[in-house]
Amino acid sequence: MSYAIETENLGRVYKTYSKKEGLLNSFKGFYNREYTEKTALKGASIKVEPGKIVGLVGSNGAGKTTLLKILSGLIYPSSGEAKVLGYQPWRRETEFLKQISILLGQKNQLWWDITPRDSYSLLTKIYDLDSKASAKTVNDLGELLQCSHVLDTQLRRLSLGERMKMEIIGSLLHNPKVLFLDEPTIGLDIVAQTTIRNFLEQYVKDHKPAIILTSHYMDDITHLADQLLLISQGQIVYDGSVDHFISTTDLKKKLVYRLKNSPEEKEIVYNSQDLPKILSDLAQAGEVVDLKVEEVDFEDVIHRFLATESRTR
Amino acid sequence: MKTSFIAFWRRNLALAELGIATNLEYRFNFIIDAFIQPILTVGIEVLLWIAIFRTAENGLIGGFTEENYLAYAVWAPFLGRIAISWMYESMMVEEVVSGSINTILSRPLTFFEYYLSQTLGYKVVTTVFSMTVPLAVSMYFHLPVYYERLPLMFALVIYYVLLVHTMSFIVATLGFYLTRVRSFTLLKNLTLLLLGGELVPIDLMPKALAEFLLILPFSSGVYIPLAYLTGRGDLNLLWQGFFNVSWALIVCGLISYLLWTKGVKQYTGTGA
Repeated sequence: MSYAIETENLGRVYKTYSKKEGLLNSFKGFYNREYTEKTALKGASIKVEPGKIVGLVGSNGAGKTTLLKILSGLIYPSSGEAKVLGYQPWRRETEFLKQISILLGQKNQLWWDITPRDSYSLLTKIYDLDSKASAKTVNDLGELLQCSHVLDTQLRRLSLGERMKMEIIGSLLHNPKVLFLDEPTIGLDIVAQTTIRNFLEQYVKDHKPAIILTSHYMDDITHLADQLLLISQGQIVYDGSVDHFISTTDLKKKLVYRLKNSPEEKEIVYNSQDLPKILSDLAQAGEVVDLKVEEVDFEDVIHRFLATESRTR
Repeated sequence: MKTSFIAFWRRNLALAELGIATNLEYRFNFIIDAFIQPILTVGIEVLLWIAIFRTAENGLIGGFTEENYLAYAVWAPFLGRIAISWMYESMMVEEVVSGSINTILSRPLTFFEYYLSQTLGYKVVTTVFSMTVPLAVSMYFHLPVYYERLPLMFALVIYYVLLVHTMSFIVATLGFYLTRVRSFTLLKNLTLLLLGGELVPIDLMPKALAEFLLILPFSSGVYIPLAYLTGRGDLNLLWQGFFNVSWALIVCGLISYLLWTKGVKQYTGTGA
């Protein structure tokens, strides 16, 4: 089997300057600096087939973005080996770069001062694409993402959701065979999240790229991913099917609410199937003046899952 | 090969257009940069040299007349503006230090060409507008300017811009190793300003110093092209300018290659 992405014992260590408190230590640090090493990624071995979506899940600082950066060629690994479409990513060969795309959810990759359509025209020339085919792709993707009306508005004047849709079109313009999506729905409202999720689902069916998707929203992963990678403290702790993960883990959510005349917010951690009963109990407890649903911490989910796994072995 | 050559030019022309389009978005900034600043600097330089010549006994300084110096004073700031690079160098440094360079690294183009094409695009447009100031003053005062020499003069200036961009690239790559590199930008631009002949014509300096400065590449940004344009220097001096820039480009090219290849290996993609 030929894999779109294949890594073997991939690792990355970051070296950072460590400064102690106080002015005296600032002077000391001027001539003698102490550095500490932090392992962001350790022994990561993964395989991704073409046309599959892999959900990469972990808490903040777990090593998700580091893995994506290495696989997209942005940074070098400290150890190990990786092949993406048969290329060593960090060599950044032109043919490799023309076949991949990385979308960093909280970063603008299109140009701030010009319209998305002008940005796509520039990308068409950067990727050496056919202008007419490219314009058609923009129109088609614009319709699918329901954002054709803002294609001629400068990026800086768009809302976060509209900008993200524009970024997605930009990242797909050259029809990449491998796509790295780092938090593509972060900060978006539920409507925009759903639109993007549905769009990605359809896009993968039509074009069959290999995708690595990181998200803080477990719903993104459960809806889209074929394969799940759990990463904790730089190590891949689970590589398997999403179905197996869901069947062995309580994907709990947190309901945060406040009752009238109560100054404090209260929390209930619940399973989805228990929600109707919880809401009914809450309605009887008093008048609810504030209510929100939050995802629980990923480290908790991972630990619960690993605990369940070890019990069943 | 042919396809990739065409693709290279198509891509870089589009980047040059981006440089122009982006700057035209900020109209007041553009007007100040292309018109107000040239008018002010030319005005100050002209007044300064007129004042200096009031005290000159026989109407000559260093063997040159007031008109010679006025011609120099009118064109020097114009060339100095082309030859120095604050704005794009700051942007390049910021890209490396903040990690926003990731956008460029993940696309099939180089960081060097991305900013070179934008710089050239922007400089061509501002040059066309700002050149109206020295041209108008030179014609009005009948200053000694050999207009037929403009094409060769511009050829050297553009070649020099390539060198300055390579220096900016070196400063930006230092961002891989150091968190702040503003002091390097300041040092580089002061060197270009003082050694390029923008403030004082090099032929007014002590002979040994002037000879030394003429073998350095910095004089090819302002003094040599201007000496050629105003008749203070001949074609031989201009060729010397091309030669100086050539060896400096080789040296800076090697330094930038070494700094870049080592820098990207230890790059952490901060901020992304």
